[in-house]
Amino acid sequence: MKKFLIFIAKLLFITVLSAVLLDVIYTVVYLKTSDRNKITYVYSSKAKNFDVVFMGSSRTQNHMVAKLFNDKGITAYNFGMSGSKLDETALLLKLMLEHNYKIKNCFLDIDLNLNSNSKSEGTKALYMPYLHNSETIRNHYKNRKEYSKLLYIPFYRYIKNDVKIGFREMLFSMTNKKSNSLENFGYFALKGNGKNMSYDLSNYSPKRNFAYEEIKLICKNNNIHLIAIATPMCQQCSSDTYYKSIKSIYPEVYNYESKVTDDANFASCGHMNVKGANMFTTIILNDFLQNKFKN
Amino acid sequence: MFFNSINFVVFLPIVFLLYWFVPNKSKSSQNFILIVASYYFYSCWDWRFLFLLLFSTLLIYVTALKIESSISAMSRKFWLWVSISLSLAFLGIFKYYDFFVTSFSDLANGLGLHVSPILLKLILPVGISFYTFHGLSYVIDIYFKKIKAERNIVDYSLFVSYFPLLVAGPIERATHLLPQLKVKREFNFEKAKEGIYQIIWGLVKKVVIADTCAIYANAVFDNYNAMNSLSLILGAIYFAFQIYGDFSGYSDIALGTSKLFGIDLLKNFDFPYFSRDIAEFWRKWHISLTTWFRDYLYIPLGGSRGSKWFQIRNVFIIFLVSGFWHGANWTFIAWGFINALYFIPLLLLRRNRNNIDAFKIAFNLESLRIIFNILITFTLTCLAWIFFRAKTISDALSYIKRMLTDLHFVPQYFKFERYSYEIIIMVLLFVIIEWNNRYKIEPLSGKYAWLKVSFSIISIIALGIFTDYKNFIYFQF
Repeated sequence: MKKFLIFIAKLLFITVLSAVLLDVIYTVVYLKTSDRNKITYVYSSKAKNFDVVFMGSSRTQNHMVAKLFNDKGITAYNFGMSGSKLDETALLLKLMLEHNYKIKNCFLDIDLNLNSNSKSEGTKALYMPYLHNSETIRNHYKNRKEYSKLLYIPFYRYIKNDVKIGFREMLFSMTNKKSNSLENFGYFALKGNGKNMSYDLSNYSPKRNFAYEEIKLICKNNNIHLIAIATPMCQQCSSDTYYKSIKSIYPEVYNYESKVTDDANFASCGHMNVKGANMFTTIILNDFLQNKFKN
Repeated sequence: MFFNSINFVVFLPIVFLLYWFVPNKSKSSQNFILIVASYYFYSCWDWRFLFLLLFSTLLIYVTALKIESSISAMSRKFWLWVSISLSLAFLGIFKYYDFFVTSFSDLANGLGLHVSPILLKLILPVGISFYTFHGLSYVIDIYFKKIKAERNIVDYSLFVSYFPLLVAGPIERATHLLPQLKVKREFNFEKAKEGIYQIIWGLVKKVVIADTCAIYANAVFDNYNAMNSLSLILGAIYFAFQIYGDFSGYSDIALGTSKLFGIDLLKNFDFPYFSRDIAEFWRKWHISLTTWFRDYLYIPLGGSRGSKWFQIRNVFIIFLVSGFWHGANWTFIAWGFINALYFIPLLLLRRNRNNIDAFKIAFNLESLRIIFNILITFTLTCLAWIFFRAKTISDALSYIKRMLTDLHFVPQYFKFERYSYEIIIMVLLFVIIEWNNRYKIEPLSGKYAWLKVSFSIISIIALGIFTDYKNFIYFQF
């Protein structure tokens, strides 16, 4: 039995050692990665200056054609992340500031994300490789479930998020496989247009959102002009009540929901295609140039 | 509680320590610890089904004693049929009632008769098919006086409910397992080490091979209408490795776990994808079920004796029942039927026992023929697996039709940038390892054992699928 217990101890040692080694390897790879997603992009960059950044979920990523701003000489980048909630957007903003970004204006799409204070596990996963290296990320997650496990158990953060930062993503990062999410100043174009699109918002109700209020505070403390907007939905979307309610909670939100209406401009009910995105960004750009967003 | 869960990682060492370090260690205390652990293990799924397990155990225990103590042949037969019919009635109600009622009402509605079926919609108790078959083999063996009825209820209950085999086999025989439970087990380092190696390799099969293949197989089968020929071929192959990795991985973990307690379970897999014909495949796939059907159904039906038509009938019965055992769906019956069709030519040509011996591969024509036969057998198996995996027979037929007629072979991408090449490399590597170790129980022991173990642990940690969790397929049966 003693022999067996020594055998098991050796196995446990190999397991722990493997986990530590893998953790180190994965982390080193991710720390050296710059162009896999917007988080790696921000983490690997320093002191960038932007006149305008666009932040939010896929409804930012697919709607805000940053190139149109850049063509006018306004330095702009779309930091919208598909699947992200306002909590992860707030963290991205904090990470930008940790990396000495200078931002003048921040467009934030908040509409559907006000329905709840939920968080995106998928987007959170993308922050996990930097947990040991970024105080901002550590502070953001320190009161969350499983924080200690994620921080102290070697490789646990990669096992827990294997779909997003597991072996395959590590391999792509190691081989510098480019991701299309960083092309076109961060704007990701959707092609074609959906059939029989509809979206029922009748069960949605905007609520006070703590992440949004944190973003407001961060912007205020760092002299960033925050412009919160609601972006368009397709024609068959019962959205009037919902968007009116947003105004009642957060009157500062600019409602652009009905600025693009024709379904020909949509790839899906909540996402405009290239044509719609260009049309919409032009409207925003014109309003921006005409100083319509001034406080 | 699954074998690849954190709960089991905690549960197993506790049971192990109690089992080997309990004071006044005896066969009775060992069995008592194992039976308590087994009932706890089973209750982790749903404690209510524990009553069903206890009832099934008591039913077989009592009827077995009745058979043995009966003086007249009539009385023996009576108690045998009480035991068999009640056991099968429970299995039938939980597993097949809704299927039969729905099929009957579909048929009646098709004939123009309006029938509204009353469905029970019962949750299938995990492992019910396995422990029912355990009990049946025991009671039939007693009827035929192959063994004596067990009087110690703890020992008998452990035979039925022993946790490594409780939920997905192997389907044990009383002649094999009960004698081991009747003696005090002594710790054997080599056996325990072999058990640990089997557990590690079983985990590799499950979380690295099966669960990764499952991502692709599910993506293909769930969207087969949008897939081209290449994807559909790969989908069938991925499913073949998913189900093999899943079930043989489970069996390895079960056998390995049992070895930690000094108990050997029946071997359930013997590298079935290296079979040279379908008959050999069925001697190597889910061996404990195949031999169960052979001994308790095929041979009593007459087996390979009698006229050709008689033999063909028996083959169809055994394969259809085997398919039906897997689940209440026509797809499983179709899967059994197809395997019977594969088997019949071998039977008619008297070639079903041609490939019993081991084979060696060298640079000669004979080896080429063997490899060709293995590939053909694997292809036939994959085709049959399509029926096993598809939701309906019509889905399976559409899948095969599209696979054979689309004729586009461009790799199609799936979500999360997980594309086909990496998994092909992983599966090929797995096949090479299995091939090189096909005469061993597991591939980790022997030369460079620590290196192989280390690589296996690294592959489990780094390549295993932990978040997109897949249940063991055979738990549903």
